Amino acid sequence: MNQNPVNGTSNADLRKAYKRQSQGRDIWRRFCKNKMAVAALIVLSIIVLAACTADLFWDYEQDACALNISEKLQKPSREHILGTDELGRDILCRLVYGARVSLEVGIGAATFALVIGAILGSIGGYYGGRVDSIIMRVTDVLLAIPGLLLGIAIVSAFKPTVFYMALAFGISYVSKFTRIIRSAILSIRDQEYVEAARAIGAKDHVIILRHILLNCMAPILVQYALCIGTRILSVSTLSFIGLGIQAPTPDWGSMLAGARAYIRGNTYLVMGPGLALLLTISSFNIIGDGIRDALDPRLKK
Amino acid sequence: MSNTTENRDILLEVRNLKKYFKRSDGYLHAVDDVSFTLERGKTLGIVGESGCGKSTTGRAILRLTEPTSGEVLFEGIDVTKLNKEEMRKMRTEMQIIFQDPFASLDPRQTVSQAIEEPLRLNGIIKDKKERFARVMELMETVGLAERLVNTYPHELDGGRRQRIGIARALAMNPKFIICDEPVSALDVSIQAQILNLMKKIQRDMGLTYIFVTHDLSVINHFADEIAVMYLGRMVEKAPTEELFNNPLHPYTKALLSAIPVPSIHRKRERITLQGEVGSPINPKPQCRFAGRCPNATEACFASEPPLVEVSKDHFVACHLCK
Amino acid sequence: MEEKKITSENEEMLNIKNLVVHYETDEALVKAINGIDLVIKHGKAHGLVGETGAGKTTTALSILNLVPDPPGRIVSGEITLDGEKLIAELPLTNEEREKLEAEGKLPPCAPAKTEREFEHIRGDKVAMIFQDPMTALNPVMTVGDQIAESIRLHQGLDRAAAAERAKEMLELVGIPGIRANEYPHQFSGGMKQRVIISMALACNPRLLIADEPTTALDVTIQAQVLDLMRELRDKFDMALLMITHDLGIIAEMCDEVSVMYAGRIVEHGTLEDIFDNTSHPYTQGLFNSIPNIEDRKSDLKPIRGLMPDPANLPAGCAFCPRCDYATERCAVEKPEKIWLSDTHCVECHLYQQGDTAKKL
Repeated sequence: MNQNPVNGTSNADLRKAYKRQSQGRDIWRRFCKNKMAVAALIVLSIIVLAACTADLFWDYEQDACALNISEKLQKPSREHILGTDELGRDILCRLVYGARVSLEVGIGAATFALVIGAILGSIGGYYGGRVDSIIMRVTDVLLAIPGLLLGIAIVSAFKPTVFYMALAFGISYVSKFTRIIRSAILSIRDQEYVEAARAIGAKDHVIILRHILLNCMAPILVQYALCIGTRILSVSTLSFIGLGIQAPTPDWGSMLAGARAYIRGNTYLVMGPGLALLLTISSFNIIGDGIRDALDPRLKK
Repeated sequence: MSNTTENRDILLEVRNLKKYFKRSDGYLHAVDDVSFTLERGKTLGIVGESGCGKSTTGRAILRLTEPTSGEVLFEGIDVTKLNKEEMRKMRTEMQIIFQDPFASLDPRQTVSQAIEEPLRLNGIIKDKKERFARVMELMETVGLAERLVNTYPHELDGGRRQRIGIARALAMNPKFIICDEPVSALDVSIQAQILNLMKKIQRDMGLTYIFVTHDLSVINHFADEIAVMYLGRMVEKAPTEELFNNPLHPYTKALLSAIPVPSIHRKRERITLQGEVGSPINPKPQCRFAGRCPNATEACFASEPPLVEVSKDHFVACHLCK
Repeated sequence: MEEKKITSENEEMLNIKNLVVHYETDEALVKAINGIDLVIKHGKAHGLVGETGAGKTTTALSILNLVPDPPGRIVSGEITLDGEKLIAELPLTNEEREKLEAEGKLPPCAPAKTEREFEHIRGDKVAMIFQDPMTALNPVMTVGDQIAESIRLHQGLDRAAAAERAKEMLELVGIPGIRANEYPHQFSGGMKQRVIISMALACNPRLLIADEPTTALDVTIQAQVLDLMRELRDKFDMALLMITHDLGIIAEMCDEVSVMYAGRIVEHGTLEDIFDNTSHPYTQGLFNSIPNIEDRKSDLKPIRGLMPDPANLPAGCAFCPRCDYATERCAVEKPEKIWLSDTHCVECHLYQQGDTAKKL
């Protein structure tokens, strides 16, 4: 191979000479063109950053959980930027710690659903036949159970901790991921380039991972982002009706529930958690759309 | 068939190859009892219209679709009997170039990744630098400019994409390539470039081709022998010159006369076939062309004609050509 | 069916003058058509040959004012159909015109008809057959209803009469009338293309635009469809604009030919002009690249290189980078249209005003 004009050092030079933006950077560039998506990403980053660094500003036990009746229902001030709630706790502090819970459950549930769904969907879609039928029937059964009810059932059977809630809300989403991934795979499985990969001797797992899953990333990622959003909403719903995260652990849903009684006189109480939910969930949705538009190189032209 | 008696260097022999697809209303006979032999270094053109089973024949030989029955002897080894792993190894010797250069490349692979993949997956060249050198060599062979190494398929035109497909097929130094309509998606001026390239590669590397196409005019430059298929059956097979000068099967005659000639002087007698291609699902035991054949007799509807050698190397399956 | 009158004494069915069409996207300005002239006489068949991206389909869409807008825009030019202006240049004073010319800009134009009038023209006066018969029919309507719909729309017949006429049309293209009640998926590719042809002819158009009508069909079916189109054209005496990449089809179907390359008509003439006195190097190259079934010995001589990117056309002749005869002049100066005879014109620097055709 050494008589080749391009070898050794010139080889490396050549690679460099025609080096271009990697595909990741290409996608990032396209994502950045979408102003809404960038705004949503910034909002979300702030929320995540705040949730991660909360301990630097507050003491969890002292500020977020402990009662302080003397300071209850204070209007926003320099000391308490968003005011205090009916038990005298700083709302901003509780919001930030609440974000932790919401994000943990949301991301945990979505990731769980994605992983299980990807495995089931890939197997069913690629191999088809009886395996596929069984998998699809199982997901049908899962689909028939309302997500929230399943959540309530699991949480009351076990404990309403972040782990069980993520599991509970993840399971109800598994069937959705399985179906999306299966149909994406079905549409790509018969593409000629998959056959071409088989013709050059690629093994099944290479084909599924490298050629099929990578090419249906767009719908999967979009669904993942949407899923996180809806799961956060579910957690809040569960907490709102008092079955989710238990007091005194701060959570947006239970904060809303607590603030409900004071909605006439102290509207600011519901504004905080309400806005936090709205911003977080819509950010995830907008980012999902942005990813979809950025991911497909075929739409580039 | 009797042509194995002579001293020929047979690379590929296909015996009674069948591929049936199960349908709700019966079995679709995509390829029905096709047999032929192919000498090393030669090109066999398989011609026919859509649905005649020509592409399925090619894919069944490579076992990209599993044949229903029959034998495919490649250098004496029956590839239909190989297990999955052995078949994977065998594919380094037998390659395919696909029809649609827009669908046969993974949109997320760059040119170099696409060409490199067969080398990497089969562990042919383990060293990264060497592998890249080989990619560059292949790109040069198929006439792709160096600057395209890191481009994606969607940035390239059909001709260049097809060159990538050819480079991929060549990467493992195969002996035999099935070309499945490699130029039918391309513009005429580009088509000629690709045809010339494939011809040159064949000469340089001593390759054996099966060239599947619907366009007789494309392979007349290429093929040593041409086989005509109709509804899963091989109806005529002859050396190229013989087939063009002395077509015997009525379908071959109609096919030849239907091609529009880019000339305003040589107007040929056209045989316009009536009707449409019949259904390949559970075909009746009769000549499959009988329904459209201008000369069909009762015998044609009574039994299916076998493929017989009427003159040296010229095979026809027709009750009327004896 | 009432016979439509030829509204003007002039014998031109279609006249396209200096048409320029651009596609404007965020990333690039794609110059699809760069000033073409095209005349089709009543009852004549005109072939438009060229490769992918030459601007053939855009030309056809411009006639019907169907260029997708955005990103497409008819920038300049005039289109006259049977004496009626469809696309007209905006009136300009001489001063304005000079000013535009000085700036290197083109005189602007606009549709001369309302969208309603265009709807009436499409299907009624001009009908179009698209390349892919598989996608051009509505899968959930019977073919009879689809044909009848366009008849009712354009000819104001009632439901029963339109259905009756739809059956007649199907029989005309060789499909038994009772199949009018079937759905598109029950037809084969060739049959579908027949249905589409019958739909196009249902309103007795004066001009039929056929955009690669047989490319998706098998050769024996293609032969049937071409025969049918020829027969019907004689019967209805309509003009035909046949768009194709296949010179063989042109030789069979057409009276005149225009060869398109990168949005220009580089050569135009009668069949004899183009086939026997091929004058433009590109046309010559096309002939050399076609595998000819009649002449098997000759090697293919492909045109080297690729079609230029229409977003980035060369400064001079667009064919210059691929041309074997190119000179320095070709690289910098766009060739003018040169008439080699009354019927034959070419855009190439190899010729000068007053030259006659020479075999390359």
